[in-house]
Amino acid sequence: MHISPIYASMLVVLSPFLAFLIQAILGKKSISGNISLAAIILSTVISLCIVFFEVWNQSPINERWAWFTIGKNTFYIGILLNNLTVLMQLLVCVIALPVHIYSRAYMKDDAGIHRYWMYLSLFCFAMLGLTVSINLFQLYIFWELVGFASYLLIGYWFTKESAAQANKKAFLINRIGDIGFLIGIALVYAHFGTLDLVELFGKEGNTILVDKNVAWLNIAGIAFFLGAMAKSAQFPLHVWLPDAMEGPTSVSSLIHAATMVAAGVFLLCTVFPLFNTFVLLIITIIGCITALSAAIFALAQYDIKKILAFSTISQLGFMMVAVGIGAWDAAMFHLTTHAFFKCLLFLSAGAVIHEMAHFKAHEKLDIDPQDLRNMGGLRKYMPKTFGLMMIASLALAGFPLTSGYLSKDSIVVSAYEWASALGTWHLLIPLTLITVSILTAFYIGRLIFKAFFGRFAFEQNNSSPALHEASSTMLWPMGFLAACSLFVAFGWTPIDYHNTWLMHGFHVKSTATAIPMAHSIIPLILTLGAVVAWGIGWRWYVKAAYPLNPNNSLIVFANRQGYLNEINNLLFVQGTVKLSQLCYGFDRTIIDGITYVVSGITKGLSSFANWFDKYIVDGIVNLIGRLAYLIGHLVRKVQNGRIQNYLGFALTVVVLGIIYLIIK
Amino acid sequence: MITLTHFLVVSACIFCIGLYAVLAKRNSIMILVGIELMINAAILNFVAFGKYDKLQYGGQVFALFAIVLAAAAVAVGLAIILNVYRHYKTINPQKINELKD
Repeated sequence: MHISPIYASMLVVLSPFLAFLIQAILGKKSISGNISLAAIILSTVISLCIVFFEVWNQSPINERWAWFTIGKNTFYIGILLNNLTVLMQLLVCVIALPVHIYSRAYMKDDAGIHRYWMYLSLFCFAMLGLTVSINLFQLYIFWELVGFASYLLIGYWFTKESAAQANKKAFLINRIGDIGFLIGIALVYAHFGTLDLVELFGKEGNTILVDKNVAWLNIAGIAFFLGAMAKSAQFPLHVWLPDAMEGPTSVSSLIHAATMVAAGVFLLCTVFPLFNTFVLLIITIIGCITALSAAIFALAQYDIKKILAFSTISQLGFMMVAVGIGAWDAAMFHLTTHAFFKCLLFLSAGAVIHEMAHFKAHEKLDIDPQDLRNMGGLRKYMPKTFGLMMIASLALAGFPLTSGYLSKDSIVVSAYEWASALGTWHLLIPLTLITVSILTAFYIGRLIFKAFFGRFAFEQNNSSPALHEASSTMLWPMGFLAACSLFVAFGWTPIDYHNTWLMHGFHVKSTATAIPMAHSIIPLILTLGAVVAWGIGWRWYVKAAYPLNPNNSLIVFANRQGYLNEINNLLFVQGTVKLSQLCYGFDRTIIDGITYVVSGITKGLSSFANWFDKYIVDGIVNLIGRLAYLIGHLVRKVQNGRIQNYLGFALTVVVLGIIYLIIK
Repeated sequence: MITLTHFLVVSACIFCIGLYAVLAKRNSIMILVGIELMINAAILNFVAFGKYDKLQYGGQVFALFAIVLAAAAVAVGLAIILNVYRHYKTINPQKINELKD
């Protein structure tokens, strides 16, 4: 039986949506999560067997249905399947499936579990729909839905003040990006008259039929990038992502590390032909700043999830740089590998937090289960978690034999080639990336050493702490992700990224000349740097030879995330408050004042009109009335009904008549 | 010798007395009497001027008719007064003023 990949892909998108609907109807009765799990298994199987294998490296296919018509333009809703979209769809499925399984153990006995499964299915639907959208407008709708699902899941424990604040913050900052995206869509529609990706960029999604050196393309490119900046947490819009860690850890791993935050990078890859050199340079610079600043902030965090959040931001910065230098195949490669190992890092961290929370409840301690300072020596109690997290950390740090080594090298080497073609200050970009790579190795090493080595912080209280290995429901998905974090998942050569199947899938022509030396020197530098960084970390944290003062102003600066939240608070929140106060004052004094003056004048005028009406107009009328009354009164006396008076009058008139006749 | 002027003067006096009675009396019957006086003044004039029609006695004849008509009018007037009295329990014309509407 042969099913069209188009319909299979539709099924992939719709099955989580169906699960969402069923659970929404069932409400509090659906706590097992079986429906969501079944839906995501179905999606994964179909996505892998029918969609991915049919389409990957074959000619792209698409299908569209008329949606609505404005004037003469008909909008189509549809599905576009090419290498980029099927890869992204498969990735989302493959990451979502382990997270679903993991959640069954991690979220067990939570009071709001029915909401959790519902939201998770909604998110999967939106994210899967986003990947295969044929129309930028359709993509935008899914983009918003993804943001909404993320909002719901960040605020999953909405009774916690910090979670409620965090989801509000994430939502607001994403709005800034969404406005950019919308402006981009509007500009594209205004100039091309279509939003269809196939019509815009061709079937392969890599051609465009306009001159790229026009002003509106600069604006459109920056607008799209603004959308990606907010969603993919690029400096300075990254502030929502560390706060988004208020959500359940499993959610953080799926949404805020592996899939949703990568949507920005995916969007940039989708509309890549739209960008000209100027916009690409901006993307590169912003990506570079993001990678560096987030890596620095990650160095001094104590919250295990915050470190991983900054690590995610930093790695997204890497992907942005890759897009900016034109190597968007490398960006997609890093996106894919990063999704696996970062998801695994979060799930491992979740396992650790889970155990720490149990320990806290068991010992009735008042500690933060996410704080690194409360951990230490966990390797003895959770050896399997330790092993899995170690693999993920090595991948993040970029050690050979891991997938992270391949993808990170692909970006740094491409950046170096790009920079050497352009020369001079452009070389700062690869240099920064190398520095960030070494910093990455250091902070993830610090996390591992502080959490798993040394002595457990509460060992003296208790001879054998009530800590044990995570349950197998949590360990199996982590094992799968760990397997995908190794080089074998992407190709048979452990050190050459050119030979991975993923890089073969995208035919991106590099404009820069290949420098064979860089392909051996740069990975060597990166690996040596990482080894040295881990060596220093080992000395400092395991051997307890920490040379720095933890209250050093630089460390405090990094710990407080470069005071960005404070600056934002001062600049935007306080600024808005001040502006509103100003507007309030303006409203109170000027607007209201004008109103008062106008109303006073009106009141004066009307009281004058009242006086005029009362005394002049009414006076004239009354005068006439009185006069008529007086005359009437005079004449009235005559007609008194007395016959003798009448006769008297008659006589008078006759007499007067006679007198008149006489004297005439 | 009694001339026409004497008749006319007497007639005018009677007319004035009648007129006064009509205008000033507080009793309807007296008003009726005043009317009679005025009619009689007129009749007197008829008779007085009758000397200029010695062939047919037009004045005298007309006076007779007038007397008869006056008698009839008085009868009607008395009947009205009687009814007015029944209605108002008075025959003072000052108190009967319903003609004004």
